[in-house]
Amino acid sequence: MNIVLEARELRKQYQDKLALKGLNLQIQAGEIFCLLGQNGAGKSTTINLFLGFITPTSGAAYINGLEVASNVTRVKEYLAYIPENVMLYPNLTGLENLSLFSSLAGFKYAEEELMHYLVQAGLPAEAAGRRVGGYSKGMRQKVGIAIAVAKHAKVLLLDEPTSGLDPKASNEFSELLLKLSDAGTAIFMATHDIFRSKAVGTRVGIMREGELVDVLPAAGLEASELEKLYLNHMHV
Amino acid sequence: MNKLRILIKFEWLNFRADKGLLILTALALLAGLYGIYYGTTEIERQRENIAALEVLTEQNVEEMKMKYPGDADAGDLGYYHSTFAVNHPDSWAGLSMGQRDLNPYYLKLRLLNLQSQLYDTENINPLKVLSGNFDLAFVLVYLFPLLIIGLCFNILSVEKEQGTLPLLLSQPIGPALIVGAKLVFRIILVLGMALFLSVLAMWWGRVVPDVRVVLWFGVVVLNCLFWFGVAFLVAALQKNSAFNAVTLLGVWLLLTIVIPALLNVYVSVKQPVPQALALTIQQREVVHGGWDKPKGETMEKFFALYPQWRDTAEIEGGFAWRWYYAFQHLGDVAVADLAKSYEEGLYARQQLVNSLNVLSVPVNVQGVLNAMAGSDLPAHLDFLKSASRYHDSLREFYYPFLYRQVPFTHADYAGEPRHSFTGSPDFTTIYSGLAKLLVSVLLVFTAALLLFKIRTVTVK
Amino acid sequence: MVRSIAKKEFISTLRDSRFMALSILVLLLLLAATIVGLQSYKNLQEERMVAQQTVNEQFANAADRHPHRMAHYGSYAFRPKSGISFLDFGLDSYTGSSVYMEAHRQNSANFSQAQQSTSLIRFGEMTVAFVLQMLIPLLIIFLCFGAFTQEKETGTLKILLSQGISVRELAWAKIAGYSKVVALVVAPALLLVSILQFGRGGFEADGDVFIRLLLFILSYLLYFFIFIVLSVVVSALHQRSATALVSLLGIWILACVIIPKATANLGAGLYTTPTRAWMDAEVHEEVKKRIDGHNSNDERAEALKQELFKKYGVNSLEELPVNFDGIWMAAGEEQSSRVYGEHFDELTAIFEKQNNISEYAGLFNPYLAVRHLSMGAAGSDFSHYVHFLKEAEEYRYNQTQKLNQIQATQLKYGDKETRLSTDTWKAFEPFTYETPDAGWVLKNHVVSVAALLLWLVLVSTAGIKLIEKIKVA
Repeated sequence: MNIVLEARELRKQYQDKLALKGLNLQIQAGEIFCLLGQNGAGKSTTINLFLGFITPTSGAAYINGLEVASNVTRVKEYLAYIPENVMLYPNLTGLENLSLFSSLAGFKYAEEELMHYLVQAGLPAEAAGRRVGGYSKGMRQKVGIAIAVAKHAKVLLLDEPTSGLDPKASNEFSELLLKLSDAGTAIFMATHDIFRSKAVGTRVGIMREGELVDVLPAAGLEASELEKLYLNHMHV
Repeated sequence: MNKLRILIKFEWLNFRADKGLLILTALALLAGLYGIYYGTTEIERQRENIAALEVLTEQNVEEMKMKYPGDADAGDLGYYHSTFAVNHPDSWAGLSMGQRDLNPYYLKLRLLNLQSQLYDTENINPLKVLSGNFDLAFVLVYLFPLLIIGLCFNILSVEKEQGTLPLLLSQPIGPALIVGAKLVFRIILVLGMALFLSVLAMWWGRVVPDVRVVLWFGVVVLNCLFWFGVAFLVAALQKNSAFNAVTLLGVWLLLTIVIPALLNVYVSVKQPVPQALALTIQQREVVHGGWDKPKGETMEKFFALYPQWRDTAEIEGGFAWRWYYAFQHLGDVAVADLAKSYEEGLYARQQLVNSLNVLSVPVNVQGVLNAMAGSDLPAHLDFLKSASRYHDSLREFYYPFLYRQVPFTHADYAGEPRHSFTGSPDFTTIYSGLAKLLVSVLLVFTAALLLFKIRTVTVK
Repeated sequence: MVRSIAKKEFISTLRDSRFMALSILVLLLLLAATIVGLQSYKNLQEERMVAQQTVNEQFANAADRHPHRMAHYGSYAFRPKSGISFLDFGLDSYTGSSVYMEAHRQNSANFSQAQQSTSLIRFGEMTVAFVLQMLIPLLIIFLCFGAFTQEKETGTLKILLSQGISVRELAWAKIAGYSKVVALVVAPALLLVSILQFGRGGFEADGDVFIRLLLFILSYLLYFFIFIVLSVVVSALHQRSATALVSLLGIWILACVIIPKATANLGAGLYTTPTRAWMDAEVHEEVKKRIDGHNSNDERAEALKQELFKKYGVNSLEELPVNFDGIWMAAGEEQSSRVYGEHFDELTAIFEKQNNISEYAGLFNPYLAVRHLSMGAAGSDFSHYVHFLKEAEEYRYNQTQKLNQIQATQLKYGDKETRLSTDTWKAFEPFTYETPDAGWVLKNHVVSVAALLLWLVLVSTAGIKLIEKIKVA
């Protein structure tokens, strides 16, 4: 077992709200974990804790065996992140944005390689040289995907990554995720999309009011069953 | 370090692509160039005007020679002939004109009572001096802080507002590095511009390259760093861009306009110099009273001061020039105390400002720059002192003619003393100002760093 | 609908604690500036009044003297501060306060506040005008920068417009709301200033001071309104509040800091000011060519003599019923004063040309327009200064000529010894100075008045048109 992403009794208390109530979770290399839940269920809080953007009230998050809170900068060498709404430097081109982020991650790519990542993520080649200020949300999202892929991270943290993508692009993105997981990347994806969770996920978790109320293996589960289960959990 | 370099490189790309920032920087550069042009041409004009005074003196001498073709009475010359005491600009004056546009840089002197001549003013357009000088010092003290504010007000907030901070922080770099890189890039840019303008101004103004080159660089660098520190401090508060912009402009307004204005009020209340009007009134009374007093009494008083002329011929008749100049001089002697306390009052004002300038970095920096260029109030007071000494030497030159009743020949004009004065830099003010500036910079950076440490950076 | 939006802006601003804090700060500064201004006004005024009284008494009680000695003894003119100059020191701190008025010579006005100050004074002075000209606009910017951008950012603009209000109406509604807020901040201060002004004079309702104060207040109200509309327009043209704010702050810096200095410098650069030394030398040369009051042995003196001989039918100076010394001196004074007057006019013309650059720049920068009007109303502008100098010169000339007249009629030719009694001097009217009336001020600042009105029309027509054209989606 090669656990690269782990939460132990992870709790996050905001001033007036307990956002996460002692999460325990282990994700292995090559696994795709999809986290379902309503807005405000604690999905983004979980991702932010893994990213070290916020510090846990108690408990700990681990990336590749390193505790996140005490290794905020180092853990980022092992993870890549695609936010729900990828925002980039509007005055730089897509290519320049990718170049900036991958060089910060320690990769020195030639221009052709950068182009390759962008095209692989679905960005039209002719758009790569234009300023991001003129991109649509979907195009920015694709640059975000390229940034994450080019980082060759052990862990991929995704927060509603397909929002703003058209169905075809979403589908291509799913295939990309499967390819990455085959290569051994652990993927943690917060999403609303039950059907895609079923399609790509190894396991599916359901979160409600800061608690992971159910974890199911995706294999052998019909999408409709999953939806029913999900709705059941929501209506308790 | 490698990551710092990458971040700086991309800051450069971002900067290059941002039209607003480019315009701002170009404007600052243009303002700097204009400041250099303005300061040097204005000082050049003063130099030309001073050179023209020699022509006037010569014309005056020619006129005197025409008027008195043979031997002249030195008394007539003392009355009709005038020379100039001149305050040459220091070679650095073009960089920081200080009060040189406000105070006369030459005085027309006759052998008469000095105090009635010492405070004459030059033809100045009051609206122009109210508006002040657009010299390099103005650009550095007023406008560069604004440039720094314009470049730095959203140093961290923009990353949050345009949403790039989460992606950036998901890379193996900390927020300190991000802010650090941005600051370093901007510091390099602004210091590069400030130093470029300074070097250009020094070259263009043909300054005497002495230790002041280093001191000037020191002041310019520290001044810029101070404002970067302020911007850093405000950035560390982690508020939005609008808040930062208003706060920074507020600080600028407070330090460059409000505090100096309040200090000015405080200084004039705390250190009043009401002697000026009393001085001018009393001086007239004494001088003109001289006509009404018995000549013997006047001469007795004068001989007490200049015993060497006591044994000269007695004055006969209604009028004698030596008696006339004696009571003119006694007018000066009578108000010497007032003149001294007026002068001391002005020095004391400067002292008070020097001790209060810790409250405002711009006031301190302006003071240091003016002190460097010899264009501040003390430099002018030094000129007045020098002009007084010149008047003394003129009197001493003419006294033998008057008391021994020697005719003044055409050859004697050449022997008349001439005056030249150049304000010198005031190193005491410069060094103490630099020390205070250094402390200000350290304080503001320490505060900023502490605040930045205490408040963890949030991504939104 | 318009009214309810204006009300919404008004109420939500009053609930904004940050804005309230800033407003209170500005009000406090206004108060401080008023107190400082009044105090400094009182000090200076008293100092000058005491000085004027002293010299007047000295003149009246002067010893028995020869009239020409008295002409050299001369008088002083101390410039009284104008009644409402405590609101705007204007050029007063930079202009000399005392002119020594003697025979044959026109002296400079000496002892300005600025000459007795350190470089501190160059940072500006804390006056009511300073707060009104520079700080209130900043407050307005802070108040209005989000006028439209905030509605855009929160998406409320579309909702508002879907309720059937036009962009134009929305703009006016916002302007009305903000104007009310600004009025709330400014009104107490202006009221206080007015009360202080009239309270000081024991409610002697001096009509002219009242008109000046009215002009002062009206100019600023116009100026504030222009700034409000301008800020709303700029806000409408931007998509994000932050960029709108930065643009407005940029405009403020340009209008209130850089342009005023640049135009003044430009003016001085374009029109060269002759130095006093050269001017004096030229006056001297020209006078020498025409007549010289002290040297009676040249042709012109001869011509004047012959003229007098003919007039009185005599053959020698001693026989003349009038004293030629006095006549000759008067002729000299007349000539030299005329020549000096011409040069002085040339000099002021040069200064006026320099200043016109700033005054006309008011057409592009309302700050400059209001600054000139404000100084004019407060009696601390350039024309008031020149007016004083001219009055002083006129007094000097008349006094000298009167003394020459006395010499010509009461003393014999060649008499340098007779001393007239001190009663002679008591008959002289002391120097008094009356500030010109408000109409004169308006005439001097037609350009600035026109500039403010032009701006008013411009922002309320073209500005609002610009707002109407903004893209909503």
